[in-house]
Amino acid sequence: MEELDKLREKNILAAKKKIAESVNEDDFIIHTINNIEELAKVTNVLTKRLRGWYAIYLPEFSRKVSDNEAFVNLILEKDRKALMQEMKINISMGMDLSKRDLKPIMDLASQIKSLYDLRDELKSYLEIVMSNYCKNMFSITGALLGAKLLKEAGSLKKLSRMTSSIVQLLGAENALFRHLKTGALPPKHGVIIQHPLVSSAKKSLRGKHARVLADKISIAVKTDYFKGEFIGDKLKKDIETKLR
Amino acid sequence: MKPFNKKYANIYFDKKTLYTRSLDKNKFFDERIVSFSGNSFREWEAKRSKLAAGLMKGLSQIGLRHGSVVLYLGASHGYTPSFVSDIVGKSGFVFAIDIAPEVTRDLVAICEQRKNMAPILCDCNHPEEYKDFVTKVDIVYQDISQKNQVQIFLKNCDMFLKKDGFGLLAIKSRSIDVTKSPKEIYARVREELEKHITIVDYRELDPYEKHHAMFVVKKK
Repeated sequence: MEELDKLREKNILAAKKKIAESVNEDDFIIHTINNIEELAKVTNVLTKRLRGWYAIYLPEFSRKVSDNEAFVNLILEKDRKALMQEMKINISMGMDLSKRDLKPIMDLASQIKSLYDLRDELKSYLEIVMSNYCKNMFSITGALLGAKLLKEAGSLKKLSRMTSSIVQLLGAENALFRHLKTGALPPKHGVIIQHPLVSSAKKSLRGKHARVLADKISIAVKTDYFKGEFIGDKLKKDIETKLR
Repeated sequence: MKPFNKKYANIYFDKKTLYTRSLDKNKFFDERIVSFSGNSFREWEAKRSKLAAGLMKGLSQIGLRHGSVVLYLGASHGYTPSFVSDIVGKSGFVFAIDIAPEVTRDLVAICEQRKNMAPILCDCNHPEEYKDFVTKVDIVYQDISQKNQVQIFLKNCDMFLKKDGFGLLAIKSRSIDVTKSPKEIYARVREELEKHITIVDYRELDPYEKHHAMFVVKKK
């Protein structure tokens, strides 16, 4: 029994040490990209409420500006009169609210604006971390897509051990297993669709573009993980010549 | 509140729910604690724990006794390990192994309060990495969802299990092969196990866990 007690102390110490050592850049990147995605969801929900609420005051404006971020910024900058002049209308369907009733609307708008600012800060932080940690992948994919690939894989180590065909389908697991189970059409791309080369391509060519891109991303990640030289420019050129 | 089965120490049963007699008065998860004739009992949900699900489905033998030393592979946050620690009691011991640092943080917090548990952060696929940290054990319990989970289980049984010791293996058929039906996979697993080890009992865990099965084996 004493032997087991000693072993227990040893194990607890060892586990604590290992947990502390296990923290690395992957964790920073994954938490950041998760938070960016959550912020996008939260701001969408809150802006929807803000639009509905603001429509009591000036319904015409909510119709005119469809971009959420621009809408929040504009109503914070200008007051009702200025906005009406801008839209060239004299009579609005909205009711002119008193100061007391207008305050909660504007408070909500400024809170949403601070969330957008936080998102921008996180994006620039992510860019700094990614460009140090995996510069080759960063040069091909950019910060957001690279971080999403990392998140889907779990870590840079796991991503570097994946074949390019798996990189191509990361994030399309449901479609892939549906294909394997029921024989439905196979997916052509996962989160890689967010890359402008794939999303701007014709629908019939997207599979090909995704394949070429995933190929080069997987080379870049392997170089990054094993601390190779910077070959991002060369890989980018290869992609362009292949897709010409 | 009455004993669930005479064979199992410390497992109790009351109105469709399992309980274990708690070693101390700590609460680790949001489980319900019932006091009965001077002892406190912790509720053991069959939907959260595959071992409890196996018991509810009527496993005839699980091998856990007062004073057993258990090697628990795939401990995660430590829900089931905390109940196993209740069952083996103060003279028993549980080595809880997991690979992910995130969940091991919770596990360490539990192990600091329990005198008969030890956390290990290692990959079960490489038993030689933690062979200095564990002793020979009476029971190997495995609940990891890996494609080669049967091979990992057999490897650990070879290295750490005493002769005539029991092994408990929770199979997740979906992580072995999604395209095959669970029944086919259980048959394949049974074939593979029988080459090395004697199978004592087997239960499918529906409806508590979908596509899962529990094997109880004994080392020859």
